[in-house]
Order: sequence, then structure tokens, then C-alpha cells
Amino acid sequence: MATFFEQNKRYLIWMGYILLAVVLLLWLGPLIGEKRPSRWVQTTITGLLTGGIYALIALGIVIINKASGVFNFAHGWMMLLGGFIFYSFFSSGQVSLLAAVLLSSVTVIMVMTMGSWRDLLQPRTALITLAAIIILILLMSLPGTEWKFVRAIAGGVTGAMLLGLVVERFTVRPLIGQPLFAMVLMTLAIGRLLQGFIQLTWGSVETPLQIFTTPEGTSLPTIKLDSLQELLGGVAIIQPGLLISFVLALLAFVGFVLFFRFTNVGLAMRASAENQRLAQAVGLRVRVILAAAWAIAALLATVGGVLQGGATNLSVNMPLLALLAFPAVLLGGLESISGALVGGLVIGFVQEWTNLLFPGTQAHVELAPYVLLMIVLVIRPDGLFGEKRIERI
Amino acid sequence: MSANIRPAGILDTNYAQDIALNRTRTDKLISNGLFALLLLIPLLTTEGPFGLNLIQQSWIGIIIRIAIYVIAVQGLNILVGYTGQISLGHGAFVAVGAYSAAIMARNLGLPFWLIIPLAAIFTGLVGLLFGLPSLRVKGFYLAMATLAAQFIIPWLLRYPLADFTNGSRPLEVPIPTLGPLSFASDAAMYYIIIPLSVFMMLAARNIMRTRVGRAFISVRDNDLAAELLGINVFAYKLQAFFLSAFFAGVAGALIAFETNSLSLDKFTLNLSIEFLAMLVIGGAGFPLGPLFGVAFVNLLTQDIIPARILPAVGPVLPGLLPFIDPVNINAAISPLLFGFILVIFLIASPRGLAYRWEIFKIAWKIRPYSH
Amino acid sequence: MKRKMLFLLMLVLMIAAALPATAQDMAMPDFIQHTECEVDLTGQTIPIYHFGDLSGSYAFITQPLLAGLSDAIKYYNEHGGICGATLKSDVGTEYRDTGGNREETQAAYDYFSTLADKPDLVVLYASGDAELLRTQVEEDEIPALISAGSVAGLYGEDAQTPGWIYASNPLYADQIGSFCKFVSENPDRYPDPVIGYISWPGAFGEAAYTAETIAYCASLGVTITGTPEYFLPTATDISTNVQNLVDAGANILYTNSLASGPAIVAKTVVDLGLEDSVQIAGVNWVLDTSVGLLGRTTLGSDGLPAVNGLVGSMPFHWWTERQVPGIAFINEQAAANERQLSTQNIAYLLGFGIVDTYTELYIQTVNRVGSLEAVTGADLKQTIESVSYSPLGLYTFDYQGGEVRAVPDNRIAQMAFLNKTMNGPATSGEDALTVDLPDGTKAFIPLIIPLTEFAAAPDLRPGGADVPAS
Repeated sequence: MATFFEQNKRYLIWMGYILLAVVLLLWLGPLIGEKRPSRWVQTTITGLLTGGIYALIALGIVIINKASGVFNFAHGWMMLLGGFIFYSFFSSGQVSLLAAVLLSSVTVIMVMTMGSWRDLLQPRTALITLAAIIILILLMSLPGTEWKFVRAIAGGVTGAMLLGLVVERFTVRPLIGQPLFAMVLMTLAIGRLLQGFIQLTWGSVETPLQIFTTPEGTSLPTIKLDSLQELLGGVAIIQPGLLISFVLALLAFVGFVLFFRFTNVGLAMRASAENQRLAQAVGLRVRVILAAAWAIAALLATVGGVLQGGATNLSVNMPLLALLAFPAVLLGGLESISGALVGGLVIGFVQEWTNLLFPGTQAHVELAPYVLLMIVLVIRPDGLFGEKRIERI
Repeated sequence: MSANIRPAGILDTNYAQDIALNRTRTDKLISNGLFALLLLIPLLTTEGPFGLNLIQQSWIGIIIRIAIYVIAVQGLNILVGYTGQISLGHGAFVAVGAYSAAIMARNLGLPFWLIIPLAAIFTGLVGLLFGLPSLRVKGFYLAMATLAAQFIIPWLLRYPLADFTNGSRPLEVPIPTLGPLSFASDAAMYYIIIPLSVFMMLAARNIMRTRVGRAFISVRDNDLAAELLGINVFAYKLQAFFLSAFFAGVAGALIAFETNSLSLDKFTLNLSIEFLAMLVIGGAGFPLGPLFGVAFVNLLTQDIIPARILPAVGPVLPGLLPFIDPVNINAAISPLLFGFILVIFLIASPRGLAYRWEIFKIAWKIRPYSH
Repeated sequence: MKRKMLFLLMLVLMIAAALPATAQDMAMPDFIQHTECEVDLTGQTIPIYHFGDLSGSYAFITQPLLAGLSDAIKYYNEHGGICGATLKSDVGTEYRDTGGNREETQAAYDYFSTLADKPDLVVLYASGDAELLRTQVEEDEIPALISAGSVAGLYGEDAQTPGWIYASNPLYADQIGSFCKFVSENPDRYPDPVIGYISWPGAFGEAAYTAETIAYCASLGVTITGTPEYFLPTATDISTNVQNLVDAGANILYTNSLASGPAIVAKTVVDLGLEDSVQIAGVNWVLDTSVGLLGRTTLGSDGLPAVNGLVGSMPFHWWTERQVPGIAFINEQAAANERQLSTQNIAYLLGFGIVDTYTELYIQTVNRVGSLEAVTGADLKQTIESVSYSPLGLYTFDYQGGEVRAVPDNRIAQMAFLNKTMNGPATSGEDALTVDLPDGTKAFIPLIIPLTEFAAAPDLRPGGADVPAS
């Protein structure tokens, strides 16, 4: 008996999966059949589009984890702060020169001196620094509403880099070599600090961030799948704001996959994530890499904060969203970039379908993703795309 | 993360000394004295029998809340600090303890001294259930399996079990009584909670000195080696989950009896994260870690920041920052101060307060040659 | 950008600081009619104690409250205070941020309630805090004021035990009751009414969906569909929730949420092309300024924001009802204190209401007791239960001789937007008055149109007088 099980283990496991699928189908099939096809389409669209934001958040968390092994609890607050920085540049007609000069010079200098401040003494670096500062200042001080996006993107990117670097330099770097727990807790502390800073500067009132608007200042028209109405037996819509967020999220993913595969910095980051000491031994500057990872994560947080802020508002509730993205991170695998994408989309999809099939149970937002997570963890303990570690438990 | 840091030259000379809780008579005197002092505190307030005003009445509540949380965090310490399993669902286990205690008191009318152990055992069993994934997963993935508990348990309590728990509405808990005695006031509850809390701390410390405790530590330090030594790693992990949830259950039952009004809004993910934060601040893997951590955080958020720093800083700050709306300043100041103090503290003492305490004790013992 | 604004603000602040110096002993406006002071309290201080969530997830509603309180205290102190006594409410000594954390709420209450000079009256913000402290304020004999409470907080778990906490708005359950009454009285407008309940999860969002409200509405011929739908404040797309309810037959969506909650419901209804067949309604918070501002860019087919036509409870007078002198006065104060449009919401109004209520309660109590030192919580409770007073004309502060714990007066109103001639609601987008904002969008000016007169809301707590016998 035991030997039979051992010999045919793979087939037996597959049979188990198939049995599970059949049971699921028998259970859910009638529930799905009750709904109009238009609802299936709408639910799928909504699920995938909202999943895009989860994926972006998950990506930011994964990058920090890849670089330093820390789970970043401050990500939600970084999103909100990034969103507010963007908002400040977006919604004011004219940016003060002093603010632009300060923000851009501090950021650029911090970027250029990530390794050591002596780099600045080289004429070539100094020149690049100066040029970058001037370009940023020019971009940030473009006047009028027609330039608001250029202004806000320049300001938002600069602000995000500064945020990431400051957090890394003053709070994460002093803890290198200390227990991992201390660093995880540090991200919690950073979250509280950012919360206080946001409420001090922008107050706590919900602030609309109107990025998905026509030039006249009204919302982008909703895409209605009118031609399919006959076929589906009802309306299905696509919110343009969510679609844009989704496309941007996908672009960010493609960008990061290429970055990690083909650029020197990206390769170095992968190497140092694999083995910090080894990376250091072959001459990689692990400290620089850590700083770069935080800057990139802050940038991703800002993108997520701006898109989420555009879809709802900038509010102190936004950080809760980062908690909802946790299962997305785990589902995909803590170290996997494509896993974060798939994880995010799957979570969004599952939430909406649960809501469709089990209305009124309130199981969709928090319960369904975690139940799914439990099932996946039992079947694949390292997530869908996580690195398989050879370990005994 | 060793609990027994001892300077060179201090050795046990006999077995009794090795197993004693207090190694020397001075130690014993100090610890017993502190316990007696702790019990005296309610007598020194305005509402005490002598009407003295040596200690503010509001301190009773602060000490009670610290004592309850210490039990919960000690449970987390067993799981995280000693056995090395990360848990993000501890708040949900406390909720199980609190709600099972409340339901037993309301629907079954059991006396509180019976409810507390029953609720603890029930919570332990629930903890055991959520510890099962540790068969397959470890590290952060296990953290996420416990995180699932943090969402599944409150959902169960809020919706399917709403008939018993009042769902989103508050659940009133009867005031505990013992014969003619009624524990309505904080000062009366004080004499239930403090001895129990001290007892649980000692129990935790003693468990860690037994075969089970040593097995926990070996699982944490190297699970492969532990298995080679013949330790059933999985069974011990489950035991750790049970014990951890058991402590959470005691804390939950005490919360139920102390506040008399339960609400699910209390037992959120934030609470679980807060527990973990307290443990790390205090020092994971040290018997006194939970006490230090809970006391630090609670004193900071419930007394030092609001009652000492704010009255001093509040009226001055708007004048210093005239370009910011005073309303914004007053809303933001608590998170800013708390975050700032935590950052400074973590940079200064990343291994926790208990570690500092051990170092200090060594320095004291080997004085005047401290390093 | 920021700095320039800040500089301007500083300038304004400096001017504002200079002004009162010249107008120090100005009297209160005529319409503020307090009882005559019989005792002179000059030189004494009356603290306003309050604590709640200033930095947590409800900060967006409590911060305007804090702004209203501090502006009102400043004004009242400059105009004679309470019979000469100065009102005082400073961070740390009189109020505290709890971040929405129950432990910190308890700690704050312990601290204030055990001060050597025990408070005679406190102000609470949240229903959850009221539920937590209900038995404690009763034991300590400290009456508490709150804007809108839950059944459990005001009347206890059995809904029959009035406590020491007094709400100035009707209970959330009673509010949906008065809405159902309004619906049943307007069959032309709502020929076959079916309400779908869509809200935030949690104690506040779920408060109006009870067995009693369902039974009461059913007795009036208004169905509430079987399953409520809940969405998180962070949700970006709630089309599945809305369609679930519409598929279940709902043609009215009732929401017990605030700020972005009603705004996203309205947006989804318009996006799905349901604006002509579905009415959106809700609790008193849905008619708030924030909803009008947050929902400003999604336009319906008439060119007005999707939130146009929202129906809800309005148990007090609103910013746009300037014919009420108190409202005109608060408008002036908000302008003088440079409060932004987003701060000009219900909480700011309540801040002024609270300070004026304090003034009247203390004057009456001190007159009766003889001196400020002699005033106790029980004295104030007696005053609270005996007065019928309208603070600044905002609402009537009347607890029917202590029979009830929430002021039952309510009316139904509708959200609209100001037209170009500024004399009424706009009928279309071209007709509406808009302000260009620097972010390229247009702000519409939200108006509140009362649809009914003030009337007592039905009593729908469990075992309440208006709950139909089953």
C-alpha cells in the first residue's frame, strides 16, 4: 500500500486536484449559472482592473524584500505621502522657486552620493548633478494648468526618490547587521512618522486628486460595452481611470522585468539579494543597492498612491489598502516580480467573483483572499512563483 | 537571543541553585518586595480606603492594561521569541478568548474563575488549528497563514456567529462576582488581574526551563539539528501554538471582564502588529521582554505623550510653526512623537530593552570592572 | 506653491490676530439669546473636555470638528465667555487624540475622569467610544454629549436603559425610519420602493440595517432587500455591489457612510447608466459638503455632478440656509478664520453648536446652584434634561424631560447645486455656478434643499414605540 502510494504519488496528487476542481465546479456552477453573462464579464473586468493596484503595491513590497529581506509595513503610508507630493504640484498653478530648488538639489545630490560623498568631487559627476538639478527645477516650475502633469510628475518622482533615500539613510541603514525583527519594526515606526508628517502638512480631510479628467475638468467618459449588450443580457462598463491604472501597472512590470534582466544596477540588485556577502566579495556596493531599492520602492508607492488617489481620494484610509495587498505578495511568492503581478490580479479577481456569487456574506474583501492563500500555501508552500527552497521543516 | 547572559565567574554550585527562580536571597527579597509593593498601589490612591493621594487614580487603569497585555505578549514570546515562529494573528486569538469568555458568562452563567481557564483552553485549541500549516510552511509564509487567522476569526465572529456575539454591536459582559464580592471597580479587578499576570509570567518562565521549553529553543535555533537529536519538531511547534494561544485566551478573558463591553473593532490586525512591536521593543526571547515592551509602549501612548509631553508642547508649538494650522499640529503630534521615539529607540537599542537590562545587570555584578 | 500659500496664510493670520484687539469688548450678536447670568464668573475657567480619534481613520471628520471648536471657543471668549468665565480647551490638558484605539480611549477617560477637579461634562466623538464608556460615565456621574450615537451607546444592550450620553442627532436606525416614512408619503416620486442597503462595514456603517428598521419600513410598504452590501472606504470600483442590489430589485440605494462613500455610490450608479431608475439616499452625513466636493467630476446626463439629487436626513440647519442667523454667523466665522471649503462641513457646525450649548447649560446650572464650584455632573444632567434650547438655531437641544437620549427631530432634504444667478438650484450643467480650481476641474457649490419640515423620527430601537409588533 505504502509503496503503491510512493510510486504513483504524482498521479495521485493530480487526481486529488482534479477531484477538487470537479467539486468546486459542482458547487459554484449553479451559482454562476444564475447570473446574467453581463455580470460575469463585468465582475471579471472589475476584478482584474482593481487587481492592478494590488499588483503595484505588491511589487513595491517585493522589491524591498528582495533587496533587504524586510517586509515593509510603511508601504501604505509611503503611497499616501507620494500621492500628496504629486497633488501639491498638480493642484497649484505656480510652484515656488525656493521649494523647487530645495527639493531637486537635495534629491539629486543624495542620489549622486549614494555610495560616497566624494563622488561629487569628480568633475563629470558634478556636471551631471548640476544639469539634473537645473532640468528638474525647470520642469517643476512650468506654470499654468496645461503643464500640470509634467510639473506633478517631475515633482512626484523627485519627492518619491527623496522619500526613499531619506528613509533608507536615516532609519534602515543604521540597523544593518541588527536582527531582522528590528528592521521590520522600524518600517512600522516609519509608517507612524509618515502619518504624522502627512497630517501635519496636508491635514486629514479627504482630498480629491483629479487626474482622470478631460481637459474641461470632468471625468473621462465611461467605456460602455454597448455592442455586447444583446449578447450578454445587460450592461458592462470599464472605468477609464482603472483601465489607465491597469495599463500603467503593466508597463511598470515590463519595465522592472527588463531592468532586472538587462541593466547593471538591476543585475547587481539580484545578485545582492541572492547573497549579500558574496555580492560584496565580488565588488558590488551593497549599500548603494539597498538605497536604490528603497528609492525604487518609494517610486512605486508614489505611482500606486497617485493612481489610487485618482480612483478614490487621498485619505488617511489609503494605507489600509496595503494590508489588503499582503495576500497578493504571498500568493505570488515573496521574491517574485511576475508573482506579484499574478498575485495582485488573482486577488482582485477572487474578491469580485466572491462578491458576485455570495452576495451579503461580506466574505469578499478580507476572507476570500486569505482562504485562497491558505489553500495555495498548503499546495505550494513557497507561493505560486516563489523560489523553491530546499529546506526541511 | 539568549535568555541567560551571565558574567564569567558566576556559577551555580548546587542543583537547588540551578533550578531556583531567584538565585540569591537579595534577588528573592527584591522580587517579593516588588510584588508586595504592586499590591499596595490601589490603597495609595484617592479612592483607596485611606483616601491618600500618593498615586493618581488613573494609574490603576494603566497598570491593569499593562498587566493584561503582558500575558498576551508573553504568549507571543513563547511562539515568536522562543520557538521562532512568526505570528501575525495574535490579536484574533485574544478575540477568541474574550468572546468565548463573554459567551460563557452570558449564556452559561459560569463563574469567572472557571471561565478563565476554560476560555484559555478553548483558545489554545483554536490556536492549534491555525498552527497546522506550520507542517508545510515556515518563515514569512507561516506569518501569512497566521495572518489568515486574523481575518477569518473576526469574520466568523462578526457575521456567522452574530447571534452570540452581537456582530458589529457591542457585547456586554456581566461583572464577575465571587460569592458576595463583586469586582466592579478597577481597584477590585486589580486584585484579580495582577496576581494572575504575575502567575502567568512565572509559569511562562518555568515552562521555558523544562524539557518542552528547551525543545522550543532548539527548534528556533536549528530545526534540522533539533530533529537529529530526536525532537519531534512538528509536535513541539504545535505545542508552542497551543501555549501561545492559551496565554492569549487568558488575556482575552481578562479583557472581557475588565472592560465589560466588547467590540470587534478592538481586535484588528493593528492589535496583532502592536503585540509584535511590543515584543520586539521589549526583547524577544527574554522572559522579561514582554513586560518591558508592553510597559514602554503603554506608558508612552497612555501617559507620557498625552499627559506629560503634550501639555508642555501643545501650547508652544503653534507659535513655533505659525504657518501651519494649529488644528493640524494637534492632530498630527501623537503619531509624530510616537514614531520619532520609536525610531530613536530602535536605532539605539535594536535588540530590545530586556537585552539592555541583562547587560546592565552584568555590569552591576562585575562592577567596578564593567566594560 | 505651498510656501506662497503659507505666506499668504501667515499674512491673513497676522491681520486676524490684530483685529480682535480693536474689537475686544464687542457684544454677542442679538440672535444668540442666552439665559441672563445671575452669577458673575469673571476670572474663572470652564474647560471643555473631549477626546477621540484625531489621527486615525475618522480624522477627516474629527479635524473639522476640532477647527469648529477652537474657532467657536476663541469667538465666545472674545465676546464675554460664559458670564465672564473663560472657555478653555487645549491639547493635553483638556483634550486628547486616541487615534481610534480603545485602550487609549480608556486611558484618556481614566485620566480626565480622575482629575482632582472632576469634569462635569465631556464631549465624545465616536459611537464606539460611547459604547465603551457608557457604564463608566454613569458610575462617575459625568454626562457626555455626542453628535450621533448608536442604540447600544445611548440605551444599552437591551435598548431600554437610558444612560448619561446625549446625542444631538437622531439614531441612525431612526433616520432610515424617517426616510422610509418620506418614501411612503411620496408615491408619485417612488411608485414601487425597494431599498438596497449599501454601506461601509463596521459598527457605524451597519448601524441602520436592523430587524426593527426592516419591519418598520415593510409596514409602510417599503421593502428593504434581503442582503446588505458592504464595501471598504478604499474600494475603487463597487459596480458588483451595486449590481447585486439592483438585480435583487432595489430602486433606492441607502448608504450609512460618509465623505467618499456616498460619492462612489453615486458615481457607480451614473456609470452604470442607472441614474434615472435608482435614487440614492442616506444618513445625515451624505448631505455633507465633502460628498459634494469629492463627487464633483463625475457628471450625470444633465451635466451636474452625480451626487446631485441625493436624498438624506438633515436634522439641523445647513451652511446654505443663510436666512437662519446662526448659519450666517458661522459662515462669517469660517471665512474670518480662513477655513477651506472642505472644512466647512457638518462637524464644523457642530463645533459651534457644542460651544453654544455649553454656554447655555452652564449659565442655567450656575444660576440654579449658585456658583461654578458647586456644579456637579448630576446638576448638568438635570439641566440637559430640562432645557429646550436651540444652539445658534442649528437644531433643538431637547430631551423631552429625560425621556430620550437622542434628539428625534429630523427632516429629509436633497442635495442640489447652486445656479448661476445664485438664487436657487441649477437644473443643468450650463445653468450651474462653477468655480475653476487650479487642478483644472470645476467646483460646484453644493446646496441643501429641505423636502420636509422638522418632525420627530420614528423610535426604532429594539422595543421602541414605533416598531411594529411582529
